[in-house]
Amino acid sequence: MDWIIIRAIASLEFRIHTRSRWTLLFGLVFAALSLGIAYFGMITAGLVGFQNFTRTSASLLNLVIYLVPLMSLTMGALSFTTEHGAVELLFAQPVERNEILLGKVGGLFASVAVATCFGFGAAGIVISLNSDGGGMAGYAALVALTLLLAFVFLALGTMVAVIARTRTRAFGYALFTWFFFVLFYDLLVMGIAFVLKERAANVLIFLSLFGNPADMMRVSALIALGGTTIFGAAGALLVKFLGGAVAGCVLLIAALTAWGIAPLAVAGHILKKQDI
Amino acid sequence: MMVVRLGIAAVVLVAGILEADTLSAGAGRRYHSVREAIAAAVPGDTIRIEAGTYAGNLVLDKRLTLEGVAKPVIRGDGRGSVIAVLAEGCTIRGLVIEHSGGMLVHEDSGILLHAGGNRIENNELRDVLFGVYFFGASNNILAGNTIRGRAWLDAGERGGGIHIYNATGNTILANVITDTRDGMYLQYANHSVVRGNRAYGVRYGLHYMYSDDNTFEDNSFSHNVAGAAIMYSRRIVLRRNRFVHNRGFSSFGILFQEAENCIAEENVLVGNAVAIFMEAVRGSTFRKNLIAANDNALKMFSSASGNAFEANNFIDNLSPLEVIGRSTDTRWSGLGRGNYWSDYEGYDLNADGIGDVPFKIQNVFQHLEGQYPRIGIYLYSPASQALAAAEKAFPVFEISREFDRQPLMKPVALGLTMPERPRRRGFFPLAASFAMLVTPVWLYRKGRTS
Repeated sequence: MDWIIIRAIASLEFRIHTRSRWTLLFGLVFAALSLGIAYFGMITAGLVGFQNFTRTSASLLNLVIYLVPLMSLTMGALSFTTEHGAVELLFAQPVERNEILLGKVGGLFASVAVATCFGFGAAGIVISLNSDGGGMAGYAALVALTLLLAFVFLALGTMVAVIARTRTRAFGYALFTWFFFVLFYDLLVMGIAFVLKERAANVLIFLSLFGNPADMMRVSALIALGGTTIFGAAGALLVKFLGGAVAGCVLLIAALTAWGIAPLAVAGHILKKQDI
Repeated sequence: MMVVRLGIAAVVLVAGILEADTLSAGAGRRYHSVREAIAAAVPGDTIRIEAGTYAGNLVLDKRLTLEGVAKPVIRGDGRGSVIAVLAEGCTIRGLVIEHSGGMLVHEDSGILLHAGGNRIENNELRDVLFGVYFFGASNNILAGNTIRGRAWLDAGERGGGIHIYNATGNTILANVITDTRDGMYLQYANHSVVRGNRAYGVRYGLHYMYSDDNTFEDNSFSHNVAGAAIMYSRRIVLRRNRFVHNRGFSSFGILFQEAENCIAEENVLVGNAVAIFMEAVRGSTFRKNLIAANDNALKMFSSASGNAFEANNFIDNLSPLEVIGRSTDTRWSGLGRGNYWSDYEGYDLNADGIGDVPFKIQNVFQHLEGQYPRIGIYLYSPASQALAAAEKAFPVFEISREFDRQPLMKPVALGLTMPERPRRRGFFPLAASFAMLVTPVWLYRKGRTS
């Protein structure tokens, strides 16, 4: 693999996305919503005279969990199944398929990062104007975890696209993946946990976190923002289960990273054998 | 006969005043140690202690005033109490008192009171096991002292900052307490007044055990395991206290356990893990409190009965109520007025300030959390929000029975002075945010034009 080629493809991909309306639209929507949350979270706090940093950031987290996976999955899925044979043309060039894969994912990641950082920057200005900057470490952690989440779902979107091969199917699979991880998975686990005995239910719930990157991101971001106490008794159980708060966070982030690398490896494997 | 008796009393009093003398202790003074001065003094005398360090383990066995000039240090030898007060009517003022013994069972304190009617003010106590211990000592005044315990000990090995045992009518004013086990501990202590104190970094800021008819007002409790713990006590009145940021797995702003007929008014509970915890509390009223930005505003066992919440402001709590057990008979409104809930989404057609739709305090997720704490891990997850939304759309599964039938449309105006909003703005966060806003724009433009 040649890094120069990967960089060239990434830069090409990034330029394609800056020219498409998708990135602009997502960036503006995300910025508008996060600005709204920050404004109402921090300004209306004046009503009772205290700043509500954790609550504001947690609401931002909520926005992230809905929007960022959706954006990443669709962008990942669509960029590998372009119309008019653009991808086929790229694959016809004398470069390795893995280089194309990494380059494209790199470029995609750059565009998603640009769009989300724009929103976080706007919200961050509102927040830092209305607080003493005490919670900004938590905010920085939220931004970092959001970028990690974007990477994971870009990788998943890429994998889905490589499996689906056609644009419409890839889009459908991406939407299903989004629905599954963001909503269905948790409801399913919760439902099963209700019929299990206490101990088994605890093990199921905490193990199930590792099966859903959106959950891992949400839990580690909330720990960064409000500490494990924010989950009440469940937080204490989680810390015990993971063997300590710091160890738990490291474990969650490592698992999250693995969730980004694994789909890329799968996609690379499929792509190598695929007859394009 | 009466006149004669009064006359004698007057003569004795005047004689006492005339006799009252001021003795000076210090380097180059008549008495080199405080102990010598105490031995030489007669009741009613004042001992002025100049700056310097003096041996402690003092015993005040007559009515004396110990007054420090420029904060002299009274240092105990590490055994017993630094100053023990056995006589009534003593005053201890302006001293630094340190290095008491370390035996909990011997009440080793900075100041150990065995008698009533004393005045302890503006002292600084440090490196002490107990700060001030009232051992059956009633009607004392303790004001403006700073008490710092032994931070290096485990909480269980420390003593209380102010420990009142079996005494009534004490007044505790404007003290600052930290690094002790409980900030203020009152056991079998009725009719006490606790006002304007600050306790932080301790286990319970204020802890009542078997203590009735007590009042505490204008105190501030932060970063403790619990701000105040009211246990096995009746008729406690708490007003205008601040309970801020008491956080931990089992941390509370106020913890009630086996309490009756308490009244809580105009308190501020902000940023606690649980603002108010209630177990077996009966007939208590919560009025005009501000309960905001807590993880959990109220957590109650179904053993809490006959309590009322009226005209409180519940603002931006992650969860308004957790009931352990099926449901409570709590009254969520009084005199036709309920509480203000920032999550309320109803309307008010007749514009009387009271929402026309009852406020369902718990959504289905919060209700389930009370029964299965482990699902708390789904806090802020789309799944938990979906459950709440489904409940709203299909009200068939109505599980929780806690309703505020007269929810207020606007927050109750409270005559509170709010914690000041920070004026100092971090420059770095602002700059970082600005960079985060501008860099993407620049990259985006670069991508478009290159």
